Amino acid sequence: MEKKNGKFFDRMKSNEYYIKWLKNPFTYIVAAVLLSLFQIVTLAVSKNPWGVSGVFAVWGAWIYEAVGGSVDKWYYFASSGAQATLEGGLLNHADSWRNLGIIFGALAATLLASGFKIKKIKSKKQVIAAALGGLLMGYGARIAFGCNIGALYSGIASLSLSGWVFAIGMFAGAVVGSKLLVKYFM
Amino acid sequence: MKEVMLDCLGEACPIPLVKAENKLKELEIGDMLIVQIDHSCAMKNVPEWARKEGYNVEVEEVDDGEWEVIIEKTK
Amino acid sequence: MAEQTRPAASRRSSANRKPKKNQIPFGFITVAFIVVVAILLNMNSTNVAFFWITGTAFGFILQKGRFCFTASMRDPYLTGSTSITRAVIIAFALTTIGFTAIKYGYSSAGLPIPGMSYVVPISIATLIGAFMFGIGMVIAGGCASGTLMRVGEGFFMNAIALVFFIIGSLWGAHDFGWWKEFFISKGPSIFLPDVFGWMGAVLLQLFVLLGLYVLAEQYEKKRGSSH
Repeated sequence: MEKKNGKFFDRMKSNEYYIKWLKNPFTYIVAAVLLSLFQIVTLAVSKNPWGVSGVFAVWGAWIYEAVGGSVDKWYYFASSGAQATLEGGLLNHADSWRNLGIIFGALAATLLASGFKIKKIKSKKQVIAAALGGLLMGYGARIAFGCNIGALYSGIASLSLSGWVFAIGMFAGAVVGSKLLVKYFM
Repeated sequence: MKEVMLDCLGEACPIPLVKAENKLKELEIGDMLIVQIDHSCAMKNVPEWARKEGYNVEVEEVDDGEWEVIIEKTK
Repeated sequence: MAEQTRPAASRRSSANRKPKKNQIPFGFITVAFIVVVAILLNMNSTNVAFFWITGTAFGFILQKGRFCFTASMRDPYLTGSTSITRAVIIAFALTTIGFTAIKYGYSSAGLPIPGMSYVVPISIATLIGAFMFGIGMVIAGGCASGTLMRVGEGFFMNAIALVFFIIGSLWGAHDFGWWKEFFISKGPSIFLPDVFGWMGAVLLQLFVLLGLYVLAEQYEKKRGSSH
């Protein structure tokens, strides 16, 4: 049985539709069209566009409260909606599941292409870059009402001028970030 | 005519591309540069860049999630 | 995709390589896991199950397309390539059309327009936050969606970035009251159809996106020939 399965999956590797749809990458344009489709589906069904980084603040608050902190007095979590989200827990927080879904969807895509590999840390520089970059993204996304998805992509697609302002700031940041990267993190 | 290996395993975008670009400048015409990568985006943008520059490029999947981009400096 | 170009002149022998393991079965197991989780979530809430499914779809598409918002902003400066930038512009244009159709549908039926919570105040905090975000995503090797996607691909570096993204978010949420009081509360929220009308706003935005697309392509050509 085991062996037969192995042969089945080995034969699959040379199947032309497997190669076209699961092995080789999509073109950027195909990905753009498919992302748009699911963005539109998301707005139509959930009445809100796609967002990613707001979830991280909620996760942070859960962890902070688990270690004994309290965010109840923070303006950001003061609204009754935010309080309900925090109390509802992970199981009832749909947005959290979408973020987890991104991880598992990417994992499935990588495994189906037989391209999964654990990529360990190569140097201390990478740790510093990742930590610093993560902090900057987290803080920046909170004060700018979102990340590249919520503030930029969904903002612009929602015909909000804020999305365009975010794009200008983000582009300037990317240029400065590139300079820093080449100079200090390479 | 020499072959140069460039180890970019574990490096994230855009570092493999920038390293390959710098390395290729040092090489002479006819030399081969073999860039080892395991970043799935670099596996797309390194060949794309090299083709645009007009070099001969080949991508080989050497292991699960590991590729070698073989670039021949033709000009 | 046409990965097979003209073979380079001399080729190294690839004989002494260990045979590749086939990961496809694990891929199917992951897909089965996704389906099972969806079924379980659906017992509790269809909405949560829907979010899970769309999340996996987004993750799948991002990974398969190597779709990287970071690269779309970084590569024009760093390498002169704008192919991802142009794809992002196309995504913006298509999504704009779909979103506006939905919004207009609600508006003309006299219903509250969905997604208006994404039309947010513009202030110096927007620029500063976006600037910080831009720096962060380039040095951390992934934006918000890209970080999650690469965690799924097995990158330790992005897992560290995710942990600090969460810490940074908490920090930002902690300081949010201050930013709100001094900057955000004074900023206007501008919904383009309020200014230009529905048709005007869509056409204007698509026109701007088209202009950016042409600009990106011309810029790439120009930079490509200069070195």
